[in-house]
Amino acid sequence: MTDIFNTIQADMPLLMEGTWNTIKLFGFTLVLSLPLGLPFALGSNSRFFPIKFICSTYVWLFRGTPLILQLFFFYFFIPIMTGVTLNVFSTATLTFALNYAAYFAEIYRGGINSVDRGQFEAAHSLQLSKKQTLFDIVLPQTMKAILPSIINETITLVKDTALVQAIGMMELMKVTYGIVNRTSSVFVFLEAAIIYLFLNFLLTLVANKLEAYFNRYDAKEE
Amino acid sequence: MTEDKTILKMTNIVKEYENVKALGGVDFSINKGEIVTIIGPSGSGKSTLLRCINGLSTPTSGKIDLRGRTSMVFQHFNLFPHMTCLENITYAPVKVLKRPKADVIAEAKELLEMVGLADKANVYPAQVSGGQKQRIAIARSLAMKPDLMLFDEPTSALDPEITGSVLEVMKKLAGEHMTMALVTHEMKFARDVSDRVLFMAEGRILEEGSPEEIFDMPKTKRLKDFLNSML
Repeated sequence: MTDIFNTIQADMPLLMEGTWNTIKLFGFTLVLSLPLGLPFALGSNSRFFPIKFICSTYVWLFRGTPLILQLFFFYFFIPIMTGVTLNVFSTATLTFALNYAAYFAEIYRGGINSVDRGQFEAAHSLQLSKKQTLFDIVLPQTMKAILPSIINETITLVKDTALVQAIGMMELMKVTYGIVNRTSSVFVFLEAAIIYLFLNFLLTLVANKLEAYFNRYDAKEE
Repeated sequence: MTEDKTILKMTNIVKEYENVKALGGVDFSINKGEIVTIIGPSGSGKSTLLRCINGLSTPTSGKIDLRGRTSMVFQHFNLFPHMTCLENITYAPVKVLKRPKADVIAEAKELLEMVGLADKANVYPAQVSGGQKQRIAIARSLAMKPDLMLFDEPTSALDPEITGSVLEVMKKLAGEHMTMALVTHEMKFARDVSDRVLFMAEGRILEEGSPEEIFDMPKTKRLKDFLNSML
Protein backbone atom coordinates (compact mmCIF):
# COMPACT_ATOMS: atom_id res chain seq x y z
CA MET A 1 0.00 0.00 0.00
CA THR A 2 2.79 2.43 0.86
CA ASP A 3 4.37 1.52 -2.50
CA ILE A 4 1.30 2.68 -4.35
CA PHE A 5 1.15 5.82 -2.24
CA ASN A 6 4.81 6.57 -2.95
CA THR A 7 4.32 5.99 -6.69
CA ILE A 8 1.35 8.35 -6.78
CA GLN A 9 3.29 10.93 -4.82
CA ALA A 10 6.21 10.67 -7.22
CA ASP A 11 4.02 10.89 -10.36
CA MET A 12 1.82 13.67 -9.08
CA PRO A 13 3.83 16.82 -9.94
CA LEU A 14 4.23 15.81 -13.59
CA LEU A 15 0.67 14.54 -13.86
CA MET A 16 -0.64 17.80 -12.41
CA GLU A 17 1.42 19.80 -14.88
CA GLY A 18 0.01 17.71 -17.73
CA THR A 19 -3.50 18.01 -16.36
CA TRP A 20 -3.14 21.76 -16.14
CA ASN A 21 -2.12 21.93 -19.82
CA THR A 22 -5.05 19.67 -20.73
CA ILE A 23 -7.43 21.95 -18.82
CA LYS A 24 -5.94 25.04 -20.47
CA LEU A 25 -6.37 23.61 -23.96
CA PHE A 26 -9.87 22.46 -23.07
CA GLY A 27 -10.85 25.85 -21.65
CA PHE A 28 -9.47 27.97 -24.49
CA THR A 29 -11.00 25.69 -27.10
CA LEU A 30 -14.42 25.86 -25.47
CA VAL A 31 -14.35 29.63 -24.95
CA LEU A 32 -13.41 30.18 -28.60
CA SER A 33 -15.43 27.48 -30.36
CA LEU A 34 -18.78 27.94 -28.56
CA PRO A 35 -19.30 31.49 -29.91
CA LEU A 36 -17.52 30.78 -33.22
CA GLY A 37 -20.04 28.06 -34.03
CA LEU A 38 -22.92 30.55 -34.10
CA PRO A 39 -21.99 32.57 -37.21
CA PHE A 40 -21.34 29.32 -39.08
CA ALA A 41 -24.72 27.98 -37.98
CA LEU A 42 -26.49 31.14 -39.17
CA GLY A 43 -24.43 31.17 -42.36
CA SER A 44 -25.32 27.57 -43.20
CA ASN A 45 -28.98 28.58 -42.85
CA SER A 46 -28.53 31.69 -45.00
CA ARG A 47 -30.56 32.14 -48.16
CA PHE A 48 -27.63 34.06 -49.68
CA PHE A 49 -25.80 31.35 -51.59
CA PRO A 50 -22.14 32.48 -51.26
CA ILE A 51 -22.45 32.69 -47.47
CA LYS A 52 -24.29 29.40 -47.26
CA PHE A 53 -21.63 27.80 -49.48
CA ILE A 54 -18.69 29.10 -47.46
CA CYS A 55 -20.20 28.05 -44.13
CA SER A 56 -21.34 24.63 -45.30
CA THR A 57 -17.94 23.97 -46.86
CA TYR A 58 -16.22 24.98 -43.64
CA VAL A 59 -18.33 22.52 -41.68
CA TRP A 60 -17.76 19.82 -44.30
CA LEU A 61 -13.97 20.25 -44.21
CA PHE A 62 -13.60 20.29 -40.45
CA ARG A 63 -16.01 17.46 -39.80
CA GLY A 64 -14.82 15.46 -42.78
CA THR A 65 -11.16 15.08 -41.87
CA PRO A 66 -9.53 13.59 -38.76
CA LEU A 67 -8.71 16.09 -36.04
CA ILE A 68 -5.17 14.74 -35.83
CA LEU A 69 -4.67 15.41 -39.53
CA GLN A 70 -5.87 18.95 -39.00
CA LEU A 71 -3.36 19.29 -36.15
CA PHE A 72 -0.52 18.23 -38.45
CA PHE A 73 -1.79 20.53 -41.16
CA PHE A 74 -1.74 23.58 -38.91
CA TYR A 75 1.52 22.51 -37.28
CA PHE A 76 3.52 21.77 -40.45
CA PHE A 77 1.85 23.51 -43.38
CA ILE A 78 0.77 26.85 -41.96
CA PRO A 79 4.38 27.88 -41.08
CA ILE A 80 5.50 26.86 -44.58
CA MET A 81 2.63 28.61 -46.33
CA THR A 82 2.50 31.78 -44.26
CA GLY A 83 5.93 32.00 -42.67
CA VAL A 84 4.22 32.46 -39.32
CA THR A 85 5.24 29.95 -36.67
CA LEU A 86 2.93 29.51 -33.71
CA ASN A 87 3.97 27.68 -30.57
CA VAL A 88 2.55 24.25 -29.94
CA PHE A 89 -0.14 25.40 -27.54
CA SER A 90 -1.42 28.12 -29.89
CA THR A 91 -1.45 25.72 -32.82
CA ALA A 92 -3.39 23.17 -30.80
CA THR A 93 -5.88 25.76 -29.52
CA LEU A 94 -6.44 27.18 -33.01
CA THR A 95 -7.00 23.76 -34.57
CA PHE A 96 -9.30 22.56 -31.80
CA ALA A 97 -11.32 25.80 -31.77
CA LEU A 98 -11.87 25.68 -35.55
CA ASN A 99 -12.73 21.98 -35.44
CA TYR A 100 -15.14 22.18 -32.53
CA ALA A 101 -16.79 25.30 -33.97
CA ALA A 102 -17.86 23.17 -36.94
CA TYR A 103 -19.53 20.63 -34.66
CA PHE A 104 -21.15 23.30 -32.51
CA ALA A 105 -22.38 25.06 -35.67
CA GLU A 106 -24.31 21.97 -36.69
CA ILE A 107 -25.75 21.55 -33.20
CA TYR A 108 -26.87 25.20 -33.14
CA ARG A 109 -28.32 24.94 -36.65
CA GLY A 110 -30.38 21.91 -35.68
CA GLY A 111 -31.57 23.73 -32.56
CA ILE A 112 -32.55 26.90 -34.41
CA ASN A 113 -34.42 24.94 -37.08
CA SER A 114 -36.35 23.04 -34.43
CA VAL A 115 -37.88 26.20 -32.97
CA ASP A 116 -41.54 26.52 -33.92
CA ARG A 117 -42.27 28.91 -36.81
CA GLY A 118 -44.92 30.52 -34.67
CA GLN A 119 -42.20 31.91 -32.41
CA PHE A 120 -40.65 33.78 -35.34
CA GLU A 121 -44.11 35.00 -36.38
CA ALA A 122 -44.94 36.24 -32.89
CA ALA A 123 -41.58 38.02 -32.74
CA HIS A 124 -42.27 39.63 -36.12
CA SER A 125 -45.76 40.63 -35.04
CA LEU A 126 -44.31 42.33 -31.96
CA GLN A 127 -41.78 44.12 -34.20
CA LEU A 128 -38.69 42.56 -32.66
CA SER A 129 -35.48 43.10 -34.59
CA LYS A 130 -33.70 40.10 -36.11
CA LYS A 131 -31.07 40.34 -33.40
CA GLN A 132 -33.67 40.44 -30.61
CA THR A 133 -35.49 37.51 -32.17
CA LEU A 134 -32.30 35.45 -32.34
CA PHE A 135 -30.79 36.23 -28.98
CA ASP A 136 -33.87 36.74 -26.80
CA ILE A 137 -36.43 34.41 -28.36
CA VAL A 138 -34.84 31.69 -30.49
CA LEU A 139 -31.50 30.87 -28.84
CA PRO A 140 -32.80 30.67 -25.26
CA GLN A 141 -35.39 28.15 -26.47
CA THR A 142 -32.85 26.03 -28.31
CA MET A 143 -30.57 25.79 -25.27
CA LYS A 144 -32.70 23.19 -23.57
CA ALA A 145 -32.81 20.98 -26.65
CA ILE A 146 -29.16 21.28 -27.63
CA LEU A 147 -27.61 21.12 -24.18
CA PRO A 148 -27.17 17.31 -24.13
CA SER A 149 -25.41 17.45 -27.52
CA ILE A 150 -23.19 20.30 -26.36
CA ILE A 151 -22.25 18.40 -23.20
CA ASN A 152 -21.51 15.34 -25.30
CA GLU A 153 -19.10 17.30 -27.49
CA THR A 154 -17.54 18.88 -24.42
CA ILE A 155 -16.82 15.50 -22.88
CA THR A 156 -15.34 14.35 -26.18
CA LEU A 157 -13.18 17.46 -26.14
CA VAL A 158 -11.68 16.51 -22.77
CA LYS A 159 -10.53 13.22 -24.28
CA ASP A 160 -9.56 14.68 -27.67
CA THR A 161 -6.96 16.84 -25.95
CA ALA A 162 -4.89 13.64 -25.74
CA LEU A 163 -4.30 13.96 -29.51
CA VAL A 164 -2.04 16.98 -29.20
CA GLN A 165 0.76 14.85 -27.83
CA ALA A 166 1.28 14.11 -31.54
CA ILE A 167 2.69 17.60 -32.01
CA GLY A 168 4.56 17.45 -28.74
CA MET A 169 2.38 19.33 -26.29
CA MET A 170 2.94 18.24 -22.72
CA GLU A 171 -0.65 17.45 -21.84
CA LEU A 172 -1.81 14.68 -19.53
CA MET A 173 -1.44 11.79 -22.01
CA LYS A 174 2.05 12.75 -23.15
CA VAL A 175 3.18 13.18 -19.56
CA THR A 176 1.71 9.78 -18.75
CA TYR A 177 3.66 8.08 -21.57
CA GLY A 178 6.79 9.83 -20.29
CA ILE A 179 6.32 8.37 -16.85
CA VAL A 180 5.65 4.88 -18.28
CA ASN A 181 8.88 5.04 -20.27
CA ARG A 182 10.90 6.31 -17.34
CA THR A 183 9.55 3.99 -14.61
CA SER A 184 8.66 0.96 -16.74
CA SER A 185 5.41 0.80 -14.79
CA VAL A 186 1.97 1.00 -16.35
CA PHE A 187 0.32 1.98 -13.07
CA VAL A 188 0.32 5.62 -14.17
CA PHE A 189 -2.22 4.77 -16.91
CA LEU A 190 -4.68 4.10 -14.10
CA GLU A 191 -3.85 7.42 -12.50
CA ALA A 192 -4.39 9.20 -15.82
CA ALA A 193 -7.71 7.43 -16.32
CA ILE A 194 -8.86 8.58 -12.90
CA ILE A 195 -7.88 12.17 -13.69
CA TYR A 196 -9.80 12.12 -17.01
CA LEU A 197 -12.80 10.61 -15.26
CA PHE A 198 -12.62 13.22 -12.53
CA LEU A 199 -12.53 16.05 -15.09
CA ASN A 200 -15.60 14.65 -16.84
CA PHE A 201 -17.30 14.13 -13.50
CA LEU A 202 -16.90 17.86 -12.83
CA LEU A 203 -18.33 18.58 -16.28
CA THR A 204 -21.34 16.40 -15.56
CA LEU A 205 -22.01 18.38 -12.40
CA VAL A 206 -21.99 21.62 -14.40
CA ALA A 207 -24.22 19.98 -17.02
CA ASN A 208 -26.78 18.99 -14.41
CA LYS A 209 -26.93 22.54 -13.07
CA LEU A 210 -27.39 23.93 -16.58
CA GLU A 211 -30.04 21.37 -17.42
CA ALA A 212 -32.03 22.26 -14.31
CA TYR A 213 -31.77 25.93 -15.23
CA PHE A 214 -33.00 25.46 -18.80
CA ASN A 215 -35.82 23.19 -17.65
CA ARG A 216 -37.23 25.84 -15.35
CA TYR A 217 -40.07 26.77 -17.70
CA ASP A 218 -41.31 23.23 -18.31
CA ALA A 219 -44.83 22.31 -17.40
CA LYS A 220 -45.11 21.71 -13.67
CA GLU A 221 -48.02 20.59 -11.61
CA GLU A 222 -49.43 23.59 -9.82
CA MET B 1 -66.27 56.87 -44.66
CA THR B 2 -64.00 59.90 -44.57
CA GLU B 3 -60.48 59.32 -45.82
CA ASP B 4 -58.71 60.33 -42.60
CA LYS B 5 -60.51 57.62 -40.61
CA THR B 6 -59.02 54.88 -42.76
CA ILE B 7 -56.41 52.85 -40.91
CA LEU B 8 -55.82 50.30 -43.61
CA LYS B 9 -56.42 50.34 -47.32
CA MET B 10 -55.43 47.33 -49.43
CA THR B 11 -55.88 47.54 -53.18
CA ASN B 12 -55.93 44.67 -55.64
CA ILE B 13 -53.88 42.30 -53.46
CA VAL B 14 -52.63 39.22 -55.27
CA LYS B 15 -50.68 36.47 -53.54
CA GLU B 16 -49.35 33.49 -55.44
CA TYR B 17 -47.47 30.51 -54.02
CA GLU B 18 -45.68 28.43 -56.64
CA ASN B 19 -48.71 27.73 -58.85
CA VAL B 20 -51.46 28.41 -56.35
CA LYS B 21 -53.27 31.72 -56.24
CA ALA B 22 -54.06 32.31 -52.56
CA LEU B 23 -55.42 35.81 -53.14
CA GLY B 24 -56.77 36.86 -56.50
CA GLY B 25 -57.05 40.63 -56.36
CA VAL B 26 -58.61 41.63 -53.05
CA ASP B 27 -59.64 45.15 -52.04
CA PHE B 28 -59.97 45.63 -48.31
CA SER B 29 -60.05 48.60 -45.99
CA ILE B 30 -60.71 49.25 -42.32
CA ASN B 31 -61.68 52.45 -40.56
CA LYS B 32 -60.65 53.43 -37.07
CA GLY B 33 -62.85 51.75 -34.47
CA GLU B 34 -64.32 49.31 -36.94
CA ILE B 35 -64.61 45.58 -36.30
CA VAL B 36 -64.40 43.51 -39.45
CA THR B 37 -64.82 39.75 -39.50
CA ILE B 38 -63.63 37.55 -42.32
CA ILE B 39 -65.42 34.23 -42.76
CA GLY B 40 -65.12 31.53 -45.34
CA PRO B 41 -64.11 27.92 -45.93
CA SER B 42 -60.55 26.86 -45.17
CA GLY B 43 -58.13 27.61 -47.97
CA SER B 44 -60.15 30.63 -49.03
CA GLY B 45 -57.29 33.05 -48.31
CA LYS B 46 -58.65 34.56 -45.07
CA SER B 47 -55.48 34.02 -43.08
CA THR B 48 -53.28 34.99 -46.01
CA LEU B 49 -55.12 38.30 -46.27
CA LEU B 50 -54.59 38.92 -42.55
CA ARG B 51 -50.92 37.97 -42.81
CA CYS B 52 -50.40 40.38 -45.69
CA ILE B 53 -51.55 43.20 -43.41
CA ASN B 54 -48.72 42.75 -40.89
CA GLY B 55 -46.03 41.62 -43.30
CA LEU B 56 -45.91 37.94 -42.35
CA SER B 57 -46.80 37.40 -45.98
CA THR B 58 -45.70 39.65 -48.82
CA PRO B 59 -48.23 40.10 -51.63
CA THR B 60 -47.12 39.21 -55.14
CA SER B 61 -48.73 42.45 -56.27
CA GLY B 62 -51.05 45.12 -54.94
CA LYS B 63 -50.86 48.13 -52.69
CA ILE B 64 -51.08 48.25 -48.90
CA ASP B 65 -51.52 51.56 -47.13
CA LEU B 66 -51.29 50.97 -43.40
CA ARG B 67 -51.37 53.86 -40.95
CA GLY B 68 -50.31 52.72 -37.54
CA ARG B 69 -49.19 49.66 -35.72
CA THR B 70 -50.72 46.22 -35.97
CA SER B 71 -50.47 43.35 -33.54
CA MET B 72 -51.56 39.80 -34.22
CA VAL B 73 -53.17 37.13 -32.06
CA PHE B 74 -52.45 33.67 -33.43
CA GLN B 75 -54.38 30.43 -33.55
CA HIS B 76 -51.63 28.66 -31.62
CA PHE B 77 -50.96 31.58 -29.23
CA ASN B 78 -47.19 31.55 -29.87
CA LEU B 79 -46.35 32.70 -26.38
CA PHE B 80 -42.63 32.69 -25.61
CA PRO B 81 -42.27 29.55 -23.44
CA HIS B 82 -39.07 30.66 -21.73
CA MET B 83 -40.61 33.85 -20.37
CA THR B 84 -43.18 34.19 -17.60
CA CYS B 85 -46.62 35.43 -18.60
CA LEU B 86 -45.72 38.91 -17.36
CA GLU B 87 -42.42 38.90 -19.27
CA ASN B 88 -44.26 37.82 -22.41
CA ILE B 89 -46.34 40.97 -22.12
CA THR B 90 -43.58 43.39 -21.10
CA TYR B 91 -40.76 42.28 -23.40
CA ALA B 92 -41.75 44.09 -26.60
CA PRO B 93 -42.95 47.37 -25.07
CA VAL B 94 -39.67 47.64 -23.13
CA LYS B 95 -37.26 46.33 -25.77
CA VAL B 96 -38.97 47.47 -28.97
CA LEU B 97 -40.87 50.60 -27.97
CA LYS B 98 -38.18 51.50 -25.38
CA ARG B 99 -40.78 52.45 -22.80
CA PRO B 100 -39.87 52.73 -19.10
CA LYS B 101 -39.96 49.31 -17.51
CA ALA B 102 -41.91 50.33 -14.39
CA ASP B 103 -44.73 51.84 -16.49
CA VAL B 104 -44.88 48.79 -18.73
CA ILE B 105 -45.04 46.39 -15.79
CA ALA B 106 -47.85 48.40 -14.19
CA GLU B 107 -49.78 48.37 -17.46
CA ALA B 108 -49.11 44.67 -18.02
CA LYS B 109 -50.60 43.93 -14.61
CA GLU B 110 -53.70 45.93 -15.53
CA LEU B 111 -53.94 43.97 -18.78
CA LEU B 112 -53.64 40.67 -16.91
CA GLU B 113 -56.40 41.91 -14.62
CA MET B 114 -58.52 42.79 -17.65
CA VAL B 115 -58.18 39.28 -19.11
CA GLY B 116 -58.84 37.79 -15.67
CA LEU B 117 -55.40 36.29 -15.10
CA ALA B 118 -53.79 38.61 -12.57
CA ASP B 119 -52.62 35.58 -10.58
CA LYS B 120 -50.66 34.14 -13.53
CA ALA B 121 -48.11 36.95 -13.85
CA ASN B 122 -45.15 34.93 -12.65
CA VAL B 123 -45.88 31.49 -14.05
CA TYR B 124 -44.63 30.15 -17.37
CA PRO B 125 -46.99 29.57 -20.32
CA ALA B 126 -46.60 25.78 -19.99
CA GLN B 127 -48.34 26.03 -16.64
CA VAL B 128 -51.58 27.61 -17.89
CA SER B 129 -54.44 26.21 -20.00
CA GLY B 130 -55.01 26.90 -23.69
CA GLY B 131 -57.74 29.44 -23.08
CA GLN B 132 -55.57 31.21 -20.54
CA LYS B 133 -52.63 31.19 -22.98
CA GLN B 134 -54.76 32.93 -25.59
CA ARG B 135 -55.93 35.56 -23.13
CA ILE B 136 -52.31 36.24 -22.22
CA ALA B 137 -51.44 36.44 -25.92
CA ILE B 138 -54.21 39.03 -26.33
CA ALA B 139 -52.80 40.99 -23.40
CA ARG B 140 -49.35 40.77 -24.99
CA SER B 141 -50.69 42.20 -28.24
CA LEU B 142 -52.58 44.96 -26.45
CA ALA B 143 -49.45 46.00 -24.57
CA MET B 144 -48.00 47.19 -27.88
CA LYS B 145 -50.88 49.68 -28.08
CA PRO B 146 -51.75 48.67 -31.63
CA ASP B 147 -53.93 50.78 -33.88
CA LEU B 148 -55.25 47.60 -35.44
CA MET B 149 -55.57 44.19 -33.80
CA LEU B 150 -55.45 41.14 -36.06
CA PHE B 151 -57.00 37.89 -34.83
CA ASP B 152 -56.17 34.79 -36.85
CA GLU B 153 -58.66 32.11 -35.76
CA PRO B 154 -58.00 32.83 -32.09
CA THR B 155 -60.33 30.12 -30.77
CA SER B 156 -59.80 27.38 -33.36
CA ALA B 157 -57.21 25.53 -31.29
CA LEU B 158 -59.31 25.62 -28.14
CA ASP B 159 -61.82 23.18 -26.69
CA PRO B 160 -65.36 24.47 -27.27
CA GLU B 161 -66.07 24.88 -23.57
CA ILE B 162 -63.17 27.31 -23.07
CA THR B 163 -63.57 29.45 -26.18
CA GLY B 164 -66.08 31.50 -24.20
CA SER B 165 -63.45 33.04 -21.94
CA VAL B 166 -61.44 34.22 -24.96
CA LEU B 167 -64.48 35.54 -26.82
CA GLU B 168 -65.48 37.42 -23.68
CA VAL B 169 -62.16 39.26 -23.64
CA MET B 170 -62.55 40.08 -27.33
CA LYS B 171 -66.07 41.35 -26.69
CA LYS B 172 -64.62 43.65 -24.05
CA LEU B 173 -62.20 45.04 -26.63
CA ALA B 174 -65.02 45.46 -29.12
CA GLY B 175 -66.89 47.42 -26.47
CA GLU B 176 -63.89 49.73 -26.17
CA HIS B 177 -63.95 50.28 -29.95
CA MET B 178 -60.60 48.68 -30.56
CA THR B 179 -60.09 48.41 -34.33
CA MET B 180 -60.07 44.72 -35.16
CA ALA B 181 -59.78 42.43 -38.15
CA LEU B 182 -60.80 38.92 -37.23
CA VAL B 183 -60.73 35.58 -38.99
CA THR B 184 -63.01 33.17 -37.19
CA HIS B 185 -65.36 30.21 -37.44
CA GLU B 186 -67.43 31.47 -34.49
CA MET B 187 -70.46 32.62 -36.46
CA LYS B 188 -72.52 33.71 -33.50
CA PHE B 189 -69.66 35.81 -32.20
CA ALA B 190 -69.08 37.32 -35.65
CA ARG B 191 -72.73 38.31 -35.85
CA ASP B 192 -72.68 39.84 -32.35
CA VAL B 193 -69.57 41.99 -32.53
CA SER B 194 -68.89 42.80 -36.20
CA ASP B 195 -69.60 46.10 -37.90
CA ARG B 196 -68.90 44.46 -41.21
CA VAL B 197 -68.52 40.86 -42.37
CA LEU B 198 -66.57 39.63 -45.38
CA PHE B 199 -67.17 36.27 -47.00
CA MET B 200 -64.15 34.91 -48.83
CA ALA B 201 -63.83 31.90 -51.14
CA GLU B 202 -61.03 30.91 -53.49
CA GLY B 203 -58.96 33.98 -52.77
CA ARG B 204 -61.69 36.52 -53.43
CA ILE B 205 -64.21 38.47 -51.41
CA LEU B 206 -67.56 37.16 -52.63
CA GLU B 207 -69.83 39.08 -50.30
CA GLU B 208 -69.41 41.95 -47.91
CA GLY B 209 -71.91 43.69 -45.67
CA SER B 210 -73.44 44.13 -42.24
CA PRO B 211 -73.86 40.98 -40.11
CA GLU B 212 -77.58 41.01 -40.93
CA GLU B 213 -76.93 41.20 -44.65
CA ILE B 214 -74.42 38.38 -44.55
CA PHE B 215 -76.08 36.01 -42.11
CA ASP B 216 -79.78 36.69 -42.76
CA MET B 217 -79.78 37.65 -46.43
CA PRO B 218 -76.92 35.80 -48.14
CA LYS B 219 -76.98 36.49 -51.87
CA THR B 220 -74.66 33.89 -53.35
CA LYS B 221 -75.10 30.15 -53.30
CA ARG B 222 -71.54 29.78 -52.01
CA LEU B 223 -72.32 31.80 -48.89
CA LYS B 224 -75.64 30.03 -48.35
CA ASP B 225 -73.88 26.65 -48.59
CA PHE B 226 -71.13 27.82 -46.27
CA LEU B 227 -73.53 29.12 -43.64
CA ASN B 228 -75.52 25.89 -43.79
CA SER B 229 -72.36 23.86 -43.32
CA MET B 230 -71.52 25.90 -40.21
CA LEU B 231 -74.81 25.12 -38.46
